[in-house]
Amino acid sequence: MKKKKMIISQETMDIDFVRKVEALADTSVRRCFQCGKCSAGCPMATFMEHPPNRVVRLLQLGQWRRVLEGRSIWYCASCETCSTRCPNKVHLASIMDALRKLSWDAHGPSKEGYVQLANKLFLQNIRTYGRQYEMRLAAVFNVKSGQFLKDLMLGPKLIAKGKLKMFHSKNKNLPEIEKIFTRIAEIRAKGEAL
Amino acid sequence: MNKKLNYSYYPGCSLHASASEYDLSTRELFKTLNIGLTEVPDWFCCGATPAHNVDELLSLSLCAKNLELADKVEGDLAVACAACFSRLKFTQHTLEENMTKRKQVEKAIDAPLKLDGKVKHLLDILARDLGLERLAAAVKKPLSGLKVACYYGCLLTRPPDVPNLDCAEAPTIMEQVVEAAGAETVAWTHRLECCGANFTLSRPGVVIQLTNAILESAKDAGADCIMVGCPLCHGNLDIRQKEIEGVYKADYNLPVFYLTQLVGLSVGLGADKLGLDAMIVNPLPLLKEKGLL
Repeated sequence: MKKKKMIISQETMDIDFVRKVEALADTSVRRCFQCGKCSAGCPMATFMEHPPNRVVRLLQLGQWRRVLEGRSIWYCASCETCSTRCPNKVHLASIMDALRKLSWDAHGPSKEGYVQLANKLFLQNIRTYGRQYEMRLAAVFNVKSGQFLKDLMLGPKLIAKGKLKMFHSKNKNLPEIEKIFTRIAEIRAKGEAL
Repeated sequence: MNKKLNYSYYPGCSLHASASEYDLSTRELFKTLNIGLTEVPDWFCCGATPAHNVDELLSLSLCAKNLELADKVEGDLAVACAACFSRLKFTQHTLEENMTKRKQVEKAIDAPLKLDGKVKHLLDILARDLGLERLAAAVKKPLSGLKVACYYGCLLTRPPDVPNLDCAEAPTIMEQVVEAAGAETVAWTHRLECCGANFTLSRPGVVIQLTNAILESAKDAGADCIMVGCPLCHGNLDIRQKEIEGVYKADYNLPVFYLTQLVGLSVGLGADKLGLDAMIVNPLPLLKEKGLL
Protein backbone atom coordinates (compact mmCIF):
# COMPACT_ATOMS: atom_id res chain seq x y z
CA MET A 1 0.00 0.00 0.00
CA LYS A 2 2.60 2.48 1.11
CA LYS A 3 4.60 2.13 -2.08
CA LYS A 4 1.62 2.81 -4.35
CA LYS A 5 2.23 6.12 -6.07
CA MET A 6 -0.03 8.88 -4.86
CA ILE A 7 -1.21 11.43 -7.38
CA ILE A 8 -2.66 14.56 -5.94
CA SER A 9 -4.43 17.02 -8.14
CA GLN A 10 -7.62 19.02 -8.05
CA GLU A 11 -9.42 16.05 -9.58
CA THR A 12 -8.36 13.67 -6.82
CA MET A 13 -9.31 15.96 -3.94
CA ASP A 14 -12.77 14.61 -3.23
CA ILE A 15 -14.27 17.23 -0.96
CA ASP A 16 -17.71 15.58 -1.16
CA PHE A 17 -16.42 12.50 0.58
CA VAL A 18 -14.86 14.63 3.31
CA ARG A 19 -18.18 16.45 3.75
CA LYS A 20 -20.02 13.15 4.04
CA VAL A 21 -17.61 11.96 6.73
CA GLU A 22 -17.90 15.27 8.55
CA ALA A 23 -21.71 15.10 8.56
CA LEU A 24 -21.75 11.52 9.80
CA ALA A 25 -19.09 12.08 12.44
CA ASP A 26 -20.33 15.53 13.44
CA THR A 27 -16.78 16.85 13.55
CA SER A 28 -14.22 18.49 11.28
CA VAL A 29 -11.74 16.55 9.16
CA ARG A 30 -10.21 19.71 7.75
CA ARG A 31 -9.25 21.22 11.11
CA CYS A 32 -6.49 18.64 11.75
CA PHE A 33 -2.97 20.16 11.56
CA GLN A 34 -1.05 16.90 11.99
CA CYS A 35 0.37 17.29 15.50
CA GLY A 36 0.23 13.50 15.88
CA LYS A 37 -1.04 13.35 19.46
CA CYS A 38 -3.77 10.91 18.35
CA SER A 39 -1.27 8.43 16.99
CA ALA A 40 1.09 8.89 19.94
CA GLY A 41 -1.64 7.78 22.35
CA CYS A 42 -3.35 5.19 20.14
CA PRO A 43 -3.03 1.68 21.61
CA MET A 44 -3.78 0.14 18.23
CA ALA A 45 -1.44 2.25 16.06
CA THR A 46 1.15 -0.54 16.00
CA PHE A 47 -1.36 -2.80 14.25
CA MET A 48 -2.39 -0.24 11.63
CA GLU A 49 -0.76 0.47 8.28
CA HIS A 50 -1.96 4.07 8.50
CA PRO A 51 -1.84 5.45 12.06
CA PRO A 52 -4.75 7.76 13.00
CA ASN A 53 -3.13 11.07 12.04
CA ARG A 54 -2.29 9.69 8.61
CA VAL A 55 -5.86 8.49 8.13
CA VAL A 56 -7.00 12.08 8.56
CA ARG A 57 -4.28 13.41 6.26
CA LEU A 58 -5.23 10.91 3.56
CA LEU A 59 -8.84 12.03 3.83
CA GLN A 60 -7.80 15.66 3.53
CA LEU A 61 -5.89 14.76 0.38
CA GLY A 62 -8.85 12.92 -1.12
CA GLN A 63 -7.21 9.51 -0.79
CA TRP A 64 -10.13 7.88 0.99
CA ARG A 65 -9.98 4.70 -1.10
CA ARG A 66 -6.61 3.89 0.45
CA VAL A 67 -8.15 4.25 3.88
CA LEU A 68 -11.24 2.13 3.19
CA GLU A 69 -9.15 -0.58 1.54
CA GLY A 70 -6.77 -0.85 4.46
CA ARG A 71 -7.13 -2.45 7.84
CA SER A 72 -6.63 0.66 10.00
CA ILE A 73 -10.30 1.48 10.48
CA TRP A 74 -11.06 -2.10 11.52
CA TYR A 75 -8.25 -2.08 14.07
CA CYS A 76 -9.52 0.99 15.90
CA ALA A 77 -10.75 -0.13 19.33
CA SER A 78 -12.97 2.94 19.89
CA CYS A 79 -11.09 3.76 23.09
CA GLU A 80 -11.50 7.50 22.40
CA THR A 81 -7.97 8.43 23.45
CA CYS A 82 -7.45 10.30 20.17
CA SER A 83 -10.63 12.36 20.59
CA THR A 84 -9.68 13.13 24.17
CA ARG A 85 -6.24 14.49 23.29
CA CYS A 86 -6.88 16.36 20.05
CA PRO A 87 -6.04 20.05 20.50
CA ASN A 88 -8.35 20.94 17.61
CA LYS A 89 -11.36 18.97 18.85
CA VAL A 90 -11.30 16.68 15.85
CA HIS A 91 -13.38 13.75 17.08
CA LEU A 92 -11.28 11.07 15.45
CA ALA A 93 -13.09 8.15 17.08
CA SER A 94 -16.30 9.36 15.40
CA ILE A 95 -14.48 9.75 12.09
CA MET A 96 -13.43 6.09 12.40
CA ASP A 97 -17.10 5.16 13.01
CA ALA A 98 -18.15 7.11 9.93
CA LEU A 99 -15.47 5.46 7.77
CA ARG A 100 -16.45 2.00 8.98
CA LYS A 101 -20.07 2.74 8.19
CA LEU A 102 -19.22 3.93 4.68
CA SER A 103 -17.06 0.87 4.12
CA TRP A 104 -19.76 -1.39 5.61
CA ASP A 105 -22.50 0.07 3.39
CA ALA A 106 -20.33 -0.49 0.33
CA HIS A 107 -19.76 -4.09 1.50
CA GLY A 108 -16.31 -2.80 2.26
CA PRO A 109 -13.24 -3.71 0.32
CA SER A 110 -11.40 -4.29 3.60
CA LYS A 111 -9.69 -7.59 4.27
CA GLU A 112 -10.59 -7.53 7.95
CA GLY A 113 -13.29 -10.17 7.65
CA TYR A 114 -13.09 -11.42 11.25
CA VAL A 115 -13.84 -8.06 12.79
CA GLN A 116 -16.69 -7.50 10.37
CA LEU A 117 -18.07 -10.99 11.04
CA ALA A 118 -17.99 -10.38 14.80
CA ASN A 119 -19.84 -7.09 14.36
CA LYS A 120 -22.42 -8.65 12.08
CA LEU A 121 -23.15 -11.54 14.46
CA PHE A 122 -23.41 -9.12 17.37
CA LEU A 123 -26.05 -7.06 15.56
CA GLN A 124 -27.93 -10.19 14.46
CA ASN A 125 -28.08 -11.30 18.10
CA ILE A 126 -29.73 -8.02 19.08
CA ARG A 127 -32.33 -8.40 16.36
CA THR A 128 -33.08 -12.04 17.17
CA TYR A 129 -32.80 -12.18 20.96
CA GLY A 130 -32.75 -8.57 22.14
CA ARG A 131 -29.63 -9.20 24.17
CA GLN A 132 -26.17 -10.67 23.75
CA TYR A 133 -25.50 -14.24 24.73
CA GLU A 134 -21.76 -14.58 24.71
CA MET A 135 -21.73 -18.35 24.33
CA ARG A 136 -23.87 -18.26 21.20
CA LEU A 137 -21.86 -15.34 19.84
CA ALA A 138 -18.54 -17.12 20.37
CA ALA A 139 -19.76 -20.48 19.09
CA VAL A 140 -21.29 -19.07 15.90
CA PHE A 141 -18.22 -16.90 15.36
CA ASN A 142 -15.90 -19.91 15.56
CA VAL A 143 -18.05 -21.94 13.16
CA LYS A 144 -18.43 -19.13 10.62
CA SER A 145 -14.78 -18.14 10.76
CA GLY A 146 -13.66 -21.76 10.52
CA GLN A 147 -11.68 -21.56 13.78
CA PHE A 148 -13.39 -24.43 15.53
CA LEU A 149 -10.74 -24.78 18.20
CA LYS A 150 -10.34 -21.11 19.10
CA ASP A 151 -10.59 -20.56 22.87
CA LEU A 152 -11.87 -24.11 23.21
CA MET A 153 -10.14 -24.49 26.55
CA LEU A 154 -11.95 -21.47 27.98
CA GLY A 155 -15.45 -22.89 27.37
CA PRO A 156 -15.76 -25.59 30.07
CA LYS A 157 -14.11 -23.32 32.65
CA LEU A 158 -16.59 -20.52 31.94
CA ILE A 159 -19.58 -22.86 32.06
CA ALA A 160 -18.38 -24.28 35.38
CA LYS A 161 -18.14 -20.75 36.76
CA GLY A 162 -21.67 -19.97 35.58
CA LYS A 163 -20.37 -17.37 33.17
CA LEU A 164 -21.94 -18.74 30.02
CA LYS A 165 -25.66 -19.13 30.07
CA MET A 166 -27.03 -22.05 28.09
CA PHE A 167 -30.62 -20.80 28.10
CA HIS A 168 -32.15 -17.39 27.97
CA SER A 169 -35.47 -15.71 28.53
CA LYS A 170 -37.59 -14.12 25.85
CA ASN A 171 -37.52 -10.34 25.69
CA LYS A 172 -40.95 -8.72 25.52
CA ASN A 173 -39.58 -5.86 23.48
CA LEU A 174 -38.47 -8.02 20.55
CA PRO A 175 -41.22 -6.70 18.21
CA GLU A 176 -40.17 -3.16 19.13
CA ILE A 177 -36.52 -3.94 18.34
CA GLU A 178 -37.51 -5.45 15.01
CA LYS A 179 -39.44 -2.26 14.21
CA ILE A 180 -36.36 -0.14 14.94
CA PHE A 181 -34.31 -2.19 12.49
CA THR A 182 -37.00 -2.03 9.77
CA ARG A 183 -37.71 1.67 10.26
CA ILE A 184 -34.00 2.46 9.93
CA ALA A 185 -33.88 0.43 6.72
CA GLU A 186 -36.91 2.37 5.43
CA ILE A 187 -35.48 5.76 6.35
CA ARG A 188 -32.25 4.79 4.58
CA ALA A 189 -34.08 3.52 1.50
CA LYS A 190 -35.82 6.88 1.23
CA GLY A 191 -32.47 8.60 1.52
CA GLU A 192 -33.54 10.46 4.65
CA ALA A 193 -30.75 9.19 6.87
CA LEU A 194 -27.04 9.68 6.84
CA MET B 1 -32.08 11.70 58.30
CA ASN B 2 -31.29 11.39 54.63
CA LYS B 3 -33.96 10.35 52.16
CA LYS B 4 -33.64 6.81 50.80
CA LEU B 5 -31.92 6.69 47.43
CA ASN B 6 -33.79 4.89 44.67
CA TYR B 7 -32.60 4.03 41.18
CA SER B 8 -33.78 2.31 38.07
CA TYR B 9 -31.19 -0.25 37.01
CA TYR B 10 -29.78 -1.17 33.60
CA PRO B 11 -27.46 -4.16 34.13
CA GLY B 12 -26.49 -4.74 30.50
CA CYS B 13 -26.07 -8.07 28.72
CA SER B 14 -22.78 -9.11 30.32
CA LEU B 15 -24.18 -8.83 33.84
CA HIS B 16 -26.74 -11.46 32.99
CA ALA B 17 -24.08 -13.82 31.69
CA SER B 18 -20.29 -13.61 31.92
CA ALA B 19 -20.33 -10.91 34.60
CA SER B 20 -23.06 -12.39 36.81
CA GLU B 21 -20.88 -11.76 39.88
CA TYR B 22 -20.94 -8.02 39.10
CA ASP B 23 -24.75 -8.12 39.05
CA LEU B 24 -24.98 -10.18 42.24
CA SER B 25 -22.50 -8.04 44.18
CA THR B 26 -24.16 -4.82 42.98
CA ARG B 27 -27.59 -5.93 44.20
CA GLU B 28 -26.22 -7.16 47.54
CA LEU B 29 -24.11 -4.07 48.12
CA PHE B 30 -26.98 -1.71 47.35
CA LYS B 31 -29.30 -3.69 49.62
CA THR B 32 -26.78 -3.42 52.46
CA LEU B 33 -26.35 0.31 51.87
CA ASN B 34 -30.15 0.68 51.78
CA ILE B 35 -30.18 1.99 48.21
CA GLY B 36 -33.20 0.97 46.12
CA LEU B 37 -32.57 -0.68 42.74
CA THR B 38 -35.37 -1.58 40.31
CA GLU B 39 -34.36 -3.32 37.09
CA VAL B 40 -35.83 -1.77 33.94
CA PRO B 41 -38.29 -4.41 32.63
CA ASP B 42 -37.29 -5.99 29.34
CA TRP B 43 -34.39 -3.67 28.67
CA PHE B 44 -32.38 -4.72 25.64
CA CYS B 45 -28.83 -4.51 24.33
CA CYS B 46 -27.45 -0.97 23.93
CA GLY B 47 -25.57 -2.06 20.81
CA ALA B 48 -22.22 -1.55 22.54
CA THR B 49 -19.18 -1.02 20.33
CA PRO B 50 -20.25 -3.13 17.30
CA ALA B 51 -23.39 -1.05 16.69
CA HIS B 52 -21.77 2.38 16.68
CA ASN B 53 -18.81 0.95 14.79
CA VAL B 54 -20.86 0.28 11.69
CA ASP B 55 -24.21 2.00 12.17
CA GLU B 56 -24.42 4.99 14.47
CA LEU B 57 -28.12 5.54 13.82
CA LEU B 58 -28.87 2.04 15.05
CA SER B 59 -26.71 2.57 18.12
CA LEU B 60 -28.41 5.87 18.97
CA SER B 61 -31.88 4.40 18.39
CA LEU B 62 -31.31 1.33 20.57
CA CYS B 63 -30.02 3.53 23.39
CA ALA B 64 -32.81 6.09 22.98
CA LYS B 65 -35.43 3.35 23.24
CA ASN B 66 -33.76 1.95 26.36
CA LEU B 67 -33.71 5.44 27.88
CA GLU B 68 -37.43 5.67 27.20
CA LEU B 69 -38.01 2.31 28.94
CA ALA B 70 -35.90 3.47 31.89
CA ASP B 71 -37.90 6.67 32.13
CA LYS B 72 -40.94 4.63 33.17
CA VAL B 73 -39.14 3.39 36.28
CA GLU B 74 -38.67 5.76 39.20
CA GLY B 75 -35.25 7.22 39.95
CA ASP B 76 -32.09 8.09 38.05
CA LEU B 77 -30.71 5.28 35.90
CA ALA B 78 -27.94 3.25 37.54
CA VAL B 79 -25.63 1.57 35.04
CA ALA B 80 -22.98 -0.97 35.98
CA CYS B 81 -21.26 -1.68 32.68
CA ALA B 82 -18.83 0.99 31.47
CA ALA B 83 -19.72 0.33 27.82
CA CYS B 84 -23.49 0.67 28.33
CA PHE B 85 -22.84 3.75 30.45
CA SER B 86 -20.73 5.30 27.72
CA ARG B 87 -23.27 4.56 24.95
CA LEU B 88 -26.26 5.84 26.91
CA LYS B 89 -24.43 9.05 27.84
CA PHE B 90 -23.14 9.48 24.31
CA THR B 91 -26.69 9.12 22.98
CA GLN B 92 -28.04 11.78 25.34
CA HIS B 93 -25.17 14.10 24.45
CA THR B 94 -25.43 13.60 20.67
CA LEU B 95 -29.20 13.90 20.46
CA GLU B 96 -29.22 17.07 22.52
CA GLU B 97 -26.62 18.70 20.27
CA ASN B 98 -27.36 17.38 16.80
CA MET B 99 -30.88 18.07 15.54
CA THR B 100 -30.42 16.15 12.26
CA LYS B 101 -29.57 12.96 14.13
CA ARG B 102 -32.27 13.64 16.68
CA LYS B 103 -34.97 13.76 14.00
CA GLN B 104 -33.74 10.51 12.46
CA VAL B 105 -33.75 8.72 15.81
CA GLU B 106 -37.27 10.01 16.57
CA LYS B 107 -38.39 8.46 13.30
CA ALA B 108 -36.57 5.21 14.00
CA ILE B 109 -38.05 4.65 17.46
CA ASP B 110 -41.36 6.29 16.54
CA ALA B 111 -41.71 7.80 20.01
CA PRO B 112 -40.82 11.07 21.69
CA LEU B 113 -37.29 11.12 23.08
CA LYS B 114 -36.72 11.04 26.83
CA LEU B 115 -33.29 12.52 27.29
CA ASP B 116 -33.61 14.36 30.58
CA GLY B 117 -33.19 11.38 32.91
CA LYS B 118 -29.85 11.21 34.67
CA VAL B 119 -27.65 8.26 33.75
CA LYS B 120 -25.19 7.36 36.48
CA HIS B 121 -22.43 4.83 36.79
CA LEU B 122 -22.32 2.93 40.09
CA LEU B 123 -19.13 4.82 40.99
CA ASP B 124 -21.00 8.10 40.71
CA ILE B 125 -23.75 6.81 43.01
CA LEU B 126 -21.32 5.55 45.64
CA ALA B 127 -18.95 8.51 45.60
CA ARG B 128 -21.39 11.39 45.13
CA ASP B 129 -25.04 10.47 45.75
CA LEU B 130 -24.36 8.33 48.78
CA GLY B 131 -21.13 10.19 49.44
CA LEU B 132 -17.72 9.02 50.60
CA GLU B 133 -18.42 9.87 54.22
CA ARG B 134 -21.54 7.75 54.41
CA LEU B 135 -19.79 5.00 52.49
CA ALA B 136 -16.89 5.05 54.95
CA ALA B 137 -19.36 5.00 57.85
CA ALA B 138 -20.93 1.81 56.48
CA VAL B 139 -17.58 0.00 56.40
CA LYS B 140 -17.40 -2.82 58.94
CA LYS B 141 -14.29 -4.63 57.74
CA PRO B 142 -11.81 -2.09 56.31
CA LEU B 143 -9.70 -3.54 53.49
CA SER B 144 -6.53 -2.73 55.43
CA GLY B 145 -3.29 -3.66 53.79
CA LEU B 146 -4.86 -4.54 50.43
CA LYS B 147 -3.02 -2.78 47.62
CA VAL B 148 -5.42 -2.12 44.78
CA ALA B 149 -4.63 -1.03 41.22
CA CYS B 150 -7.73 0.85 40.02
CA TYR B 151 -8.24 0.24 36.31
CA TYR B 152 -10.51 2.69 34.49
CA GLY B 153 -10.02 1.50 30.94
CA CYS B 154 -11.48 3.64 28.18
CA LEU B 155 -15.15 4.23 28.50
CA LEU B 156 -15.69 5.45 32.06
CA THR B 157 -14.09 8.82 31.45
CA ARG B 158 -13.64 9.40 27.73
CA PRO B 159 -14.30 11.47 25.67
CA PRO B 160 -13.93 14.44 28.05
CA ASP B 161 -17.24 16.20 27.39
CA VAL B 162 -19.50 13.15 27.47
CA PRO B 163 -19.60 10.85 30.51
CA ASN B 164 -18.77 13.63 32.98
CA LEU B 165 -17.86 11.05 35.58
CA ASP B 166 -14.41 12.41 36.32
CA CYS B 167 -11.38 14.00 34.62
CA ALA B 168 -10.68 12.15 31.35
CA GLU B 169 -6.90 12.05 31.79
CA ALA B 170 -6.39 11.96 35.57
CA PRO B 171 -9.49 10.56 37.25
CA THR B 172 -9.50 9.65 40.96
CA ILE B 173 -13.07 8.49 41.62
CA MET B 174 -12.21 4.77 41.79
CA GLU B 175 -9.33 5.42 44.16
CA GLN B 176 -11.58 7.57 46.36
CA VAL B 177 -14.23 4.86 46.59
CA VAL B 178 -11.88 2.00 47.40
CA GLU B 179 -9.88 4.12 49.84
CA ALA B 180 -13.15 4.91 51.64
CA ALA B 181 -13.46 1.12 51.96
CA GLY B 182 -10.08 1.12 53.72
CA ALA B 183 -7.82 -0.17 50.94
CA GLU B 184 -4.53 1.26 49.74
CA THR B 185 -4.19 2.26 46.10
CA VAL B 186 -1.07 2.11 43.94
CA ALA B 187 0.12 4.65 41.37
CA TRP B 188 0.61 2.90 38.04
CA THR B 189 1.03 3.71 34.39
CA HIS B 190 -1.66 1.71 32.58
CA ARG B 191 -4.86 2.56 34.42
CA LEU B 192 -6.32 4.38 31.40
CA GLU B 193 -4.90 2.21 28.63
CA CYS B 194 -7.20 0.15 26.43
CA CYS B 195 -7.41 -3.64 26.99
CA GLY B 196 -8.58 -4.30 23.41
CA ALA B 197 -12.15 -4.82 24.62
CA ASN B 198 -14.36 -6.39 21.97
CA PHE B 199 -11.46 -7.63 19.86
CA THR B 200 -11.46 -10.52 22.31
CA LEU B 201 -13.64 -12.39 19.82
CA SER B 202 -12.18 -11.40 16.49
CA ARG B 203 -8.55 -10.61 17.31
CA PRO B 204 -7.55 -12.30 20.59
CA GLY B 205 -3.85 -11.83 19.77
CA VAL B 206 -4.28 -8.07 19.97
CA VAL B 207 -6.09 -8.33 23.30
CA ILE B 208 -3.39 -10.55 24.76
CA GLN B 209 -0.67 -8.05 23.87
CA LEU B 210 -2.53 -5.01 25.24
CA THR B 211 -3.79 -6.75 28.36
CA ASN B 212 -0.34 -8.12 29.17
CA ALA B 213 1.01 -4.57 29.36
CA ILE B 214 -1.73 -3.66 31.84
CA LEU B 215 -1.10 -6.69 34.07
CA GLU B 216 2.63 -6.07 33.95
CA SER B 217 2.23 -2.45 34.96
CA ALA B 218 -0.05 -3.33 37.88
CA LYS B 219 2.34 -6.00 39.09
CA ASP B 220 5.36 -3.69 38.81
CA ALA B 221 3.56 -1.08 40.90
CA GLY B 222 3.22 -3.61 43.72
CA ALA B 223 -0.53 -4.17 43.46
CA ASP B 224 -2.14 -7.24 45.08
CA CYS B 225 -5.16 -7.06 42.83
CA ILE B 226 -6.94 -5.00 40.18
CA MET B 227 -10.32 -3.31 40.53
CA VAL B 228 -12.54 -2.65 37.49
CA GLY B 229 -15.95 -1.21 36.67
CA CYS B 230 -16.41 -2.79 33.25
CA PRO B 231 -17.24 -6.42 32.35
CA LEU B 232 -15.22 -6.27 29.13
CA CYS B 233 -12.07 -5.18 30.94
CA HIS B 234 -12.78 -7.88 33.51
CA GLY B 235 -13.15 -10.56 30.86
CA ASN B 236 -9.83 -9.69 29.31
CA LEU B 237 -7.87 -9.24 32.54
CA ASP B 238 -9.34 -12.19 34.44
CA ILE B 239 -10.48 -14.82 31.96
CA ARG B 240 -7.45 -14.40 29.69
CA GLN B 241 -4.87 -13.95 32.47
CA LYS B 242 -3.69 -17.58 32.53
CA GLU B 243 -3.32 -17.60 28.75
CA ILE B 244 -1.34 -14.34 28.88
CA GLU B 245 0.95 -15.72 31.59
CA GLY B 246 1.64 -18.66 29.28
CA VAL B 247 2.38 -16.51 26.22
CA TYR B 248 4.64 -14.06 28.05
CA LYS B 249 6.15 -16.54 30.54
CA ALA B 250 5.00 -14.31 33.37
CA ASP B 251 3.52 -14.94 36.79
CA TYR B 252 0.95 -12.28 37.63
CA ASN B 253 -1.65 -14.05 39.75
CA LEU B 254 -3.61 -10.81 40.13
CA PRO B 255 -7.25 -11.31 41.13
CA VAL B 256 -9.51 -8.91 39.24
CA PHE B 257 -12.38 -7.59 41.35
CA TYR B 258 -15.41 -5.59 40.38
CA LEU B 259 -15.66 -2.42 42.46
CA THR B 260 -18.87 -3.74 44.06
CA GLN B 261 -17.08 -6.89 45.20
CA LEU B 262 -14.36 -4.98 47.05
CA VAL B 263 -16.72 -2.40 48.54
CA GLY B 264 -19.14 -5.23 49.37
CA LEU B 265 -16.41 -7.06 51.23
CA SER B 266 -15.71 -3.96 53.31
CA VAL B 267 -19.34 -3.56 54.37
CA GLY B 268 -19.32 -7.13 55.65
CA LEU B 269 -20.80 -9.17 52.78
CA GLY B 270 -19.66 -12.80 52.56
CA ALA B 271 -18.00 -14.56 49.64
CA ASP B 272 -21.28 -16.17 48.55
CA LYS B 273 -22.99 -12.79 48.18
CA LEU B 274 -20.14 -11.35 46.14
CA GLY B 275 -19.77 -14.18 43.66
CA LEU B 276 -16.07 -14.60 44.47
CA ASP B 277 -16.27 -18.22 43.28
CA ALA B 278 -17.05 -17.00 39.74
CA MET B 279 -13.66 -15.33 39.39
CA ILE B 280 -11.16 -17.25 37.28
CA VAL B 281 -8.06 -16.03 39.13
CA ASN B 282 -8.84 -17.31 42.63
CA PRO B 283 -8.94 -14.38 45.09
CA LEU B 284 -9.38 -16.49 48.25
CA PRO B 285 -5.67 -17.05 49.09
CA LEU B 286 -5.01 -13.29 48.87
CA LEU B 287 -8.06 -12.36 50.95
CA LYS B 288 -7.22 -14.96 53.59
CA GLU B 289 -3.59 -13.79 53.74
CA LYS B 290 -4.78 -10.23 54.36
CA GLY B 291 -7.26 -11.43 56.98
CA LEU B 292 -10.23 -10.17 54.98
CA LEU B 293 -12.16 -13.43 54.78
